[in-house]
Amino acid sequence: MDEKSPSVRFDRKAQLTEALERLEAPLVRYAAKILKDEERGRDVVQETFLRLWRVTGEAQPGPSAITSWLFTVCRNLAFDVLRKEHRMVVVSSGDVEATFAAPAPVESQEDGLSSVLVALKMLPPQHQEVVRLKFQQGFSYRDIARVTGLSESNVGFILHQSIKKLRTAVAAAGGEA
Amino acid sequence: MKTQERIPEDQLTRYVMGELPEAEQKALEAVMAKDPALAREVETLRGFCGLLWTELKKEPMPRLKPEQLASLRQDLEQGASSSPPRKSRKIWLAGIPLLAAAAAAFFLVKPQILSKSPGAHGDAEEVRFVASAPELPKDEKASAGKREAESVVGKEVVQEKKKLALAEVRRDQPTAASSPLKSGGPGKSMAGAVAQNRAPAGATGAAPYGALADSRSRRLIPKPEMKKSDHYAAEFDDAEANGADLGMNTEAYDAIVDNPFRATAQDPLSTFSVDVDTASYANVRRFLEGGQTPPKDAVRIEELLNYFRYDYKAPTDRPFGVEVEVGEAPWKPEHRLVRIGIKGKEGAFEARKDSNLVFLVDVSGSMNGPLRLPLVKQSLRMLVDKLDANDRIALVVYAGTSGLVLPSTSAREKATILDAIERLEAGGSTNGGEGIQLAYKTARQSFVKGGINRVVLASDGDFNVGISNQGDLVRLITKEAKDGIFLSVLGFGIGNLKDSTMEKLADKGNGNYAYIDSLAEAKKVLVEEAGGTLVTIAKDVKLQLEFNPEAVQAFRLIGYENRVLAHEDFNDDAKDAGDIGSGHTVTALYEVVPKGVAFTPRGVDAMKYQKPAAATGAHDGELVTVKLRYKEPEGSKSSLIEYAVKDKGRKLADATADYKFAASVAGFGMLLRDSEYKGAATWDQVMRLATEGAKDTPAALGPEQRAYREGFLELIKKARKAAPSP
Repeated sequence: MDEKSPSVRFDRKAQLTEALERLEAPLVRYAAKILKDEERGRDVVQETFLRLWRVTGEAQPGPSAITSWLFTVCRNLAFDVLRKEHRMVVVSSGDVEATFAAPAPVESQEDGLSSVLVALKMLPPQHQEVVRLKFQQGFSYRDIARVTGLSESNVGFILHQSIKKLRTAVAAAGGEA
Repeated sequence: MKTQERIPEDQLTRYVMGELPEAEQKALEAVMAKDPALAREVETLRGFCGLLWTELKKEPMPRLKPEQLASLRQDLEQGASSSPPRKSRKIWLAGIPLLAAAAAAFFLVKPQILSKSPGAHGDAEEVRFVASAPELPKDEKASAGKREAESVVGKEVVQEKKKLALAEVRRDQPTAASSPLKSGGPGKSMAGAVAQNRAPAGATGAAPYGALADSRSRRLIPKPEMKKSDHYAAEFDDAEANGADLGMNTEAYDAIVDNPFRATAQDPLSTFSVDVDTASYANVRRFLEGGQTPPKDAVRIEELLNYFRYDYKAPTDRPFGVEVEVGEAPWKPEHRLVRIGIKGKEGAFEARKDSNLVFLVDVSGSMNGPLRLPLVKQSLRMLVDKLDANDRIALVVYAGTSGLVLPSTSAREKATILDAIERLEAGGSTNGGEGIQLAYKTARQSFVKGGINRVVLASDGDFNVGISNQGDLVRLITKEAKDGIFLSVLGFGIGNLKDSTMEKLADKGNGNYAYIDSLAEAKKVLVEEAGGTLVTIAKDVKLQLEFNPEAVQAFRLIGYENRVLAHEDFNDDAKDAGDIGSGHTVTALYEVVPKGVAFTPRGVDAMKYQKPAAATGAHDGELVTVKLRYKEPEGSKSSLIEYAVKDKGRKLADATADYKFAASVAGFGMLLRDSEYKGAATWDQVMRLATEGAKDTPAALGPEQRAYREGFLELIKKARKAAPSP
């Protein structure tokens, strides 16, 4: 890696800058949802990018993998924070049923939220996360599996279940969006 | 018909998400084609997922604080990449003083922070940030009013289309797609489920990243090194093995209605824009080689004609020359056929101006499959090989999100570029709009003044997520073309080709559209004709013909249906039209009904007041005047060229080889389209003319062109087999 020419390093820098501009906001949104706090979401995201700046050699994600790399690292850091605060019981990832068995605390249903977003908040946090990765980031099942450590078939299962529940809930809410 | 096995619900979800392997996808589509209830359910599900997209984008997207961003940028500037190697997890906090302090403080004073945290969504603040966020949803309400650029007009597409937008209809009613078609529907070879050929996409994805991404490195999909012949064999064998009537695919074509005969007495003018696209030929060939007739609307006769070169003289003083030949219409001997040939000035590709190319590559899930991304990569490699130090190349990919894979790089650094191409992999959904924006941005950043600035889009054209608002897209492309960044479109893939979108985009972007179905085709478009594909020598090229009512009763333009212009647009320099690249030839055919031949114009009564002008004899023997307008690539004022054409009464037997060949291609197209104007055309006649045209291929065109013509003979044989008589 040390024999990389200056121009390659320069290109790398352009890529990283581009990734920062493109992904900082989506990442803050993602981290803030996990942490339920924007401020700490920002800190985690800043740390995530610093990790990206510092990662060297073989560990560097290739250009097409930067996005899922950032989400993965961001997620890990966010869960580190939760773990340190003892706010989360750690379960082995990949075990859908065990993780977040309890439904999410129902937040006050702010006025103006569409029935979809209201219904989304009723889903278990992990399911919300998967739904968000799919519909906010456009990740493939494979990307989501990489980021969350779930298996692809688990991702498929969660998405299917979630969409089903959301449809029912939205229909019950009168079908408007 | 098999009884329908129960489709597992989650398979439908997978299908809608574009996550089903191609084979299962085709199988499901086959079932859906026979089960309207299931098809409806899928549409509902698709609709709901669309709603999720729209609604979830509304969640606030807070950004980093300006000081956080600044500190990150500074850190990057100061060469973070040369900083010490990875630190172990335990000490990372210590290794990053500034943030470590912040983080430590935040762990220590947790209670305070917590107290202000839950649900503290400062709404006003969030909205402010959303307004400048780069990843904004491009569609609908989510961003409306937040960025002025987003003055979205939902159904623009419909207005943009001159013709009936069959594409949309098909999407909505999958089963309808097969009905108007002969011989088993369009889907037979589309069903070419290529499961065993697909790039082993899943093979690399298993291990999640560690917290420090330690074992992380580039994930490469092993490059499927396949030969063209293998692709064909595999895809089409599979198609046959896959059963007769998977009568459904999701390809989309705009409807084409043949230009009718126009009575000269009513309107002696005919105006159209040139078109150098060739995609339809390769696409038609793909169908025929799979043993099917192509959908009628996939057959654009002008693109069949322009796939071939004809021996028109290359001008030296002007951007292009015009040649006209008049002869007998083979399918209706009492009619005349006027062949207009335009030839762009030949500039050696090596002598081209400096170029700034941005490849925009679709890497969404739909690009999996041997004739898609791997072929894109091979095509790009071939093009890169032709380029040199005067060229710059950037690579942008798009899927669910888009990214700059390679910033603009001098083509001298071939290894860097080839490496970046090599690393492309497919996966995720498609958001073509965002990718295009990033591509244009990249092109602007390394704009070469007075040079070639071009975005080259490689896709199956399925803009299925996010900014699918074609109106916005078209506006963007039109604007960029005005600013000097042109767009070329390379279509790939089968079964899901959005032909109508692709052609429209290239059209608006002052570019051309080629369909690439094989390595050989890639070579033709990107190597042999690189000049024409990349170097524009004249833009907004329009033709207007005025037929002489003393000699002509009626006339009909064959093909160019979606290029017809209003007569007044001819002199209007603000009206956009087609472009001609270096060495391009454009051929147009008019079928003419001479005076004295029995002819009843359809649906129009004889004129009551109009009297034919007294025969002055001033233009004796003149059949038609051909007028042509064009602009220099960077010009805004057009120049005019004019020719008067006489008919010397030449018989078919005396026609040139080029004439015979072009007439044969037109007959071939009309037969495939089952056109009402095909007259007495038969496959035999088409074959005879093509054989003569190929045998006497002008030597000046070179051996490749002869080979292409000979390839056409093979295609006629296949068409004769696939299509019903005559």
